[in-house]
Amino acid sequence: MLEFKNLKLSFGNKKVLKGVDLNVNKGDVVTFIGPSGTGKTTILKCVNYLVEPNEGNMHLADMSVDFKKINKKDILSLRRKTAMVFQQFNLFKNKTVVENVMDAQIVVHNKSKSEAYEKSMELLDKVGMCDKENEYPSKLSGGQQQRVSIARALAVNPEIVLFDEPTSALDPELVNDVLSVIEKVAKTGVTILLVTHEMDFARKISNKVVFMENGYVVEEGSPEQIFENSQNERTKQFLSKFYLKEAVSAK
Amino acid sequence: MNFLILFEDFVQLLAVVPQTLLLAITIFILSILIGTVMALIQEYNVPVLKLIVVIVKLLLRGTPLIVLIFLMYYSLPDTVTFLSGLVGLDYNGTNIPPAIILIVAVSFTVASFQAETIRGSFLSINKGQIEAAQSLGYTPYQMFKKIIAPQALVEAIPEFSSSFLIVMKAISLGFMITVVDIFAEARLIATDNSYYVEAFFAAALMYWAISAITVTLSSKYEEYLHSRM
Repeated sequence: MLEFKNLKLSFGNKKVLKGVDLNVNKGDVVTFIGPSGTGKTTILKCVNYLVEPNEGNMHLADMSVDFKKINKKDILSLRRKTAMVFQQFNLFKNKTVVENVMDAQIVVHNKSKSEAYEKSMELLDKVGMCDKENEYPSKLSGGQQQRVSIARALAVNPEIVLFDEPTSALDPELVNDVLSVIEKVAKTGVTILLVTHEMDFARKISNKVVFMENGYVVEEGSPEQIFENSQNERTKQFLSKFYLKEAVSAK
Repeated sequence: MNFLILFEDFVQLLAVVPQTLLLAITIFILSILIGTVMALIQEYNVPVLKLIVVIVKLLLRGTPLIVLIFLMYYSLPDTVTFLSGLVGLDYNGTNIPPAIILIVAVSFTVASFQAETIRGSFLSINKGQIEAAQSLGYTPYQMFKKIIAPQALVEAIPEFSSSFLIVMKAISLGFMITVVDIFAEARLIATDNSYYVEAFFAAALMYWAISAITVTLSSKYEEYLHSRM
């Protein structure tokens, strides 16, 4: 359902993605792990063209694009097939909670107000934010904002939901609320790409884990394969460092 | 100071307040529209037009308004006659009312300042919200209308309110090309009855009243918009 071939991207002289191939099936939950600055977020942003890849091909549902020849119409339709949840939530400040969830349905997908409202309330219920429907984002905690932004992403019926470090900007005590919402979303069968530093969570919800370093996919496989039986030195090193840090901070 | 004359003058000035406000509001709205177009051209890096905007802004901001008004007063009629001739119309540019010349001159001058305010207010909107709108498939126009403009307006209101006052005061230069506003009317009254201090004090009072009302209304509106964010 999503396929990348030879995806390359650089910002100025800095090569960020150096030829990435990737295959995602419908309903997959794919988690990207790896050191900071290795292009995990950038891959997600290639899917909806928030960054501009220099070359490579992508298949998404019924579309195929060659990034060298992509046009404005392709970009819009890529974006209308996907939705993104951002590290910094990025809710629209001038809109209430329910308006945030409704707006794209009305503006982009031409739904009627009542239809959009009904769907929005249903989704807000799912993320546990029904009672805040008329609040403005500035009155909400980070965790609440992120739950609303998940509802906003689901409201447009995306083929794929892209989660870009959805819990990295949250206070530790709010992380679990958001993770449990993401887990619920994963169980609905929607295809998910997720960048996260929450290793235990990645292990729990993904059916595929991609370890990236330096603009390359170093290893990919099932969570068991990556977390328990990795044959790759770099993967093992990264994970052992990570778990060492955890152990130290637990003490 | 003769208070009776002052009172009479004040009442007489009230008669020109509507037309002064109408001029000011027209110029104010035009300056925002032109300023927005200038800001958008600069923000979206439109080739050629961007260069023109930069040069025009530089010229307008460096020219004393009175110089621009006279320049237009003496050159615009011929220019319009010439241009309308080019497109095959037979329009005599000397028929242009001086008020129109004043509107054009002040609108463009204020717009060149307004453009900076507007650009600043666009830039104040964080990139994250723009990415979010893009990721949901908004077109640039939808994004501008639903997300950027409403938030930019809140940022710009204090500046807009002071630019309205600048426009109010700039219009008094219209006297030089026979446009009658509060100041011009005060001058006419004074020449008529020779009570100069009273006439100009009445004019000053009128300007103060209008600014007080403008500032109050704009801060109320700003407060209202802030409560909805």
